[in-house]
Amino acid sequence: MPGGKSETLQGPLDLMVLKTLGAMGPFDGCRIARRMEQISEEFLLVNQGTIYASLVPLIARGWISGAWGTSNNNRKAKLYSITKTGRKQLSAEVRNGERVSTVMGRVQRIAERG
Amino acid sequence: MFAWVRSLVSQTRVWLSPRQVDQDFAQELEVHLDLLTEESVRRGMSPEEAKRAARIRLGGPTQLKETNRELQGLPAIETFLQDTRYAFRMLRKNPGFTAVAVLTLALGIGANTAIFSVVYAVLLKPLPYTNPEQLFTAFQANAQQGTAETGCSYLNFEEWRAQNHAFSELAGIVAHQLTLTGRVEPTVVNTSVVTPEFFALVDVKPLAGRIFFPQDGKQGAPPVALVSEDLWRGRFGADPNIIGTSINLDQRPFTVIGIMPGAFRTPFFTKQEVWIPLVQDPVFSTFMPNRGLHLLPVIGRLKPGVSVAQAQAEMDAISGRLAAEFPAENNGWTVRLVPLQKEIVGDVRTALLVLLGAVGLVLLIACANIANLLLTRATSRSKEIAVRTALGAGRARIIRQLLSETAVLGLLGGAVGIALAYWGVKALSSLLPSSLPQMNPIRVDYFVLGFALLLSAIAGLAFGLVPAMFAANADIQNALREGARSGESRNRRRARSFLAVVEISLAMVLLMTAGLLLRSFARLTSVSPGFDAQHIVKADISLPQFQYSTPQQWAAFSEELLARIQSDPGLQDSAVVVPRPIADRNVNLPFDIVGNPPSSASASRTASFVSVSPDYFRVMGIPLLAGRFFNQHDISSAPRVSIISEAMARLYFPNQNPLGKQLTFGFPPNGEAMREIVGIVGNVRDVALGQNPGAMMYVPFAQAPFWGANLVVKSTLSTSSVAAAIRQEVQKMDKDIPVTDVAKMPDLIDASVAQPRFRTFLLGLFAGMALVLAATGIFGVISYSVSRRTNEIGIRVALGASRNTILSMILGETLALTFAGLAVGLPCALAASHLVGHMLFDVSANDPATLAAVAFSLAVVAALAGYIPARRAVRVDPMAALRYE
Repeated sequence: MPGGKSETLQGPLDLMVLKTLGAMGPFDGCRIARRMEQISEEFLLVNQGTIYASLVPLIARGWISGAWGTSNNNRKAKLYSITKTGRKQLSAEVRNGERVSTVMGRVQRIAERG
Repeated sequence: MFAWVRSLVSQTRVWLSPRQVDQDFAQELEVHLDLLTEESVRRGMSPEEAKRAARIRLGGPTQLKETNRELQGLPAIETFLQDTRYAFRMLRKNPGFTAVAVLTLALGIGANTAIFSVVYAVLLKPLPYTNPEQLFTAFQANAQQGTAETGCSYLNFEEWRAQNHAFSELAGIVAHQLTLTGRVEPTVVNTSVVTPEFFALVDVKPLAGRIFFPQDGKQGAPPVALVSEDLWRGRFGADPNIIGTSINLDQRPFTVIGIMPGAFRTPFFTKQEVWIPLVQDPVFSTFMPNRGLHLLPVIGRLKPGVSVAQAQAEMDAISGRLAAEFPAENNGWTVRLVPLQKEIVGDVRTALLVLLGAVGLVLLIACANIANLLLTRATSRSKEIAVRTALGAGRARIIRQLLSETAVLGLLGGAVGIALAYWGVKALSSLLPSSLPQMNPIRVDYFVLGFALLLSAIAGLAFGLVPAMFAANADIQNALREGARSGESRNRRRARSFLAVVEISLAMVLLMTAGLLLRSFARLTSVSPGFDAQHIVKADISLPQFQYSTPQQWAAFSEELLARIQSDPGLQDSAVVVPRPIADRNVNLPFDIVGNPPSSASASRTASFVSVSPDYFRVMGIPLLAGRFFNQHDISSAPRVSIISEAMARLYFPNQNPLGKQLTFGFPPNGEAMREIVGIVGNVRDVALGQNPGAMMYVPFAQAPFWGANLVVKSTLSTSSVAAAIRQEVQKMDKDIPVTDVAKMPDLIDASVAQPRFRTFLLGLFAGMALVLAATGIFGVISYSVSRRTNEIGIRVALGASRNTILSMILGETLALTFAGLAVGLPCALAASHLVGHMLFDVSANDPATLAAVAFSLAVVAALAGYIPARRAVRVDPMAALRYE
């Protein structure tokens, strides 16, 4: 599907990043990556560096922001936190997820009937 | 919005400083690596091993950095590019639709751009002078004499200059033709006669040499002249040593002191060839000592910070002082300040704005048409859009993508339109009436290009937004469920009908105004001017005023010339007349009737003054209604006589016999003489075809000669042989006198209606475009409706409906749309026709015949446009139609 990447999340990984930052506050890249690995096998990253590839589009859309700061173990690190728009998107996304699954279910049922 | 700004900022930052972003990311990766290493060390690994393990877990830094750099690019621009690519693909897939839409739009935008280039050059673009907003004209007006706008006398002008503090400079400027002789073959050159301050006022630098200095305007100063670049290059072969040499103007030597650049335009007179100081001019220098001759138009430059109101107040005060000081010459005379540009543009403004409005309506109709096409297409695309929505595309995303398509369409149309406009401006330039003041060149420049681009973008949005919103709002569940049958919502059908109605009503507005102008133009060109222009040729012979300076010389020259010309067998019907009707400007003079109370402010009597040789009326076919024509006995030593027009007899001698009454008027030299009315002749439209014939008084040329012989010759010979014969006779009398402006009278009458012809032609063209577009719109709506209803029609036919029933059903739909359009269009058309009301000649703005013709032709065209699809509906095979579902 062309042009489909802007308003919606790329996939479950984006959603999980938003959820994580929404629930647990500012994290550096390392902790986000580790958290993703913890949550599910499904999100197993090939290597932790790829997490940044998911963070960049989220920043570009203004859903999360990154800034250099001090992490809780007193190290200088770039910390990511969710923005207001990000929170809105998160709740919209949760609703949309429900809608899509009903529609897809219906499509499937039509297909089965036809 | 804040998020949007932030994302833009971050994207721009990547663009502006890619290296810094890279460094930032490298640092981040380093921190990440450190954290991983520390963790492993805590678990008991050796530092070296921990570092290696961390590197593996993190991934290769080079590759990560590369990915990061790619991602950091511009997602918004990327999406846009993607949308654009997709839009192009969709348009390529529907070449028919694309061609129709692009062409429709290109016509609309091309026509708009071409007209706008004229509007911009004439109305909007500032005059090509420094700080043009400071430039004003200062006219004299006299409410008592009914004079709204005329020049100022030179002596008053000097007082204005001396007494005012509002203008940094004031200058007088007039123009007429002088004969250039000497180094070149005798030619007539357009000469501006100016006070020396003129060039400093408009702030123009000469190409070479110098401009006029104040001492050039003093009495007794050596005569100097400036020549135009074109004249210098053409006539003088770009002679590098021209400055300081002498040229002859009206057989008097002038020293060339400078060359004016070719781009320089003289206010009011645009392209001039020679400039001389007022004091050196053979005509106007003689008027200079006469304070009562209000003939010199004045322009002024306001000082910075001085308002028009302040300047007006000061000029009012000066006028008051002058009226008190010189009551005989200045009583009742006031000063009127008008911005120079406004004055130059004059009454062309309304006509141009009407044309711009009309061509804007054409574009609106074109947009409505394309919107209609898009709505139709959106219906067939509803499934594609529903699938996208189901897959998670948001509403805004869908609208954005559809709008990208229409934007691409708009820009394509704009590009083709601009190409059309280049061509259109060329075509327009040849059509433009010469009376259109072209102070700025008319062309598609950057400003006009910007206008065209903006217009295409707006057009793309205008016709794209509604269909896109409909498409995005579509009920996806319905669209998916309906399977093979693509559904059309009731709203969408309504929107389509609405657009068709709008098109018809807009077309009606254009047709109505065009119809009125056309009717008015037909009346204008068929009105009789009061004389028979057929086979009349005119020629100008202007006497050099330094050689021929007395009225006796003028009269003698004309008499001899006329005698010589009339002896030629082909040119017997010749006469001298100043000024000629329509071809020359009329001279309106106040007069008194001997025995009646003098002309007063409340009852001023004026009439057009014409000086003619005895044969004039016979040559021109102007009928004698009473009394007699002039004859060879009416010479300067004989009693003064005059002939008046029927309109003058009616206006000033109601229920009296004017014959034998005596007139006095203050022009020309022997002005106070009493002139007995000896004849009454038919009316002549001397000012313009469109203006009702006014009062006219004729005097014998021998009793009121001018310094030129404006000839009219009735001859069946060709114009060139008439010109050659006249030239031959003139050369025999004086080899340095040129015969100029030879033209056929019918051509001049034709040229006098150039402006109405121009606007009528263009408006007619636009109305035609509108009609075609509206017809296409109706055709589209009805054909689509028929194709949607194939099934229904099949059932009706199967159930026994006759062909006529089907036909009238479809035509009924068409006519319903048409009548709705006419009903909406009627009040709009009437409002629009009142806008052009003052341009109409002998036709009322509510002319019922035009209105009926417009409504009827629209209905017929609409019915035809609906008939084609209706016929297709009639041919529907019920079996095929039923199977179709």
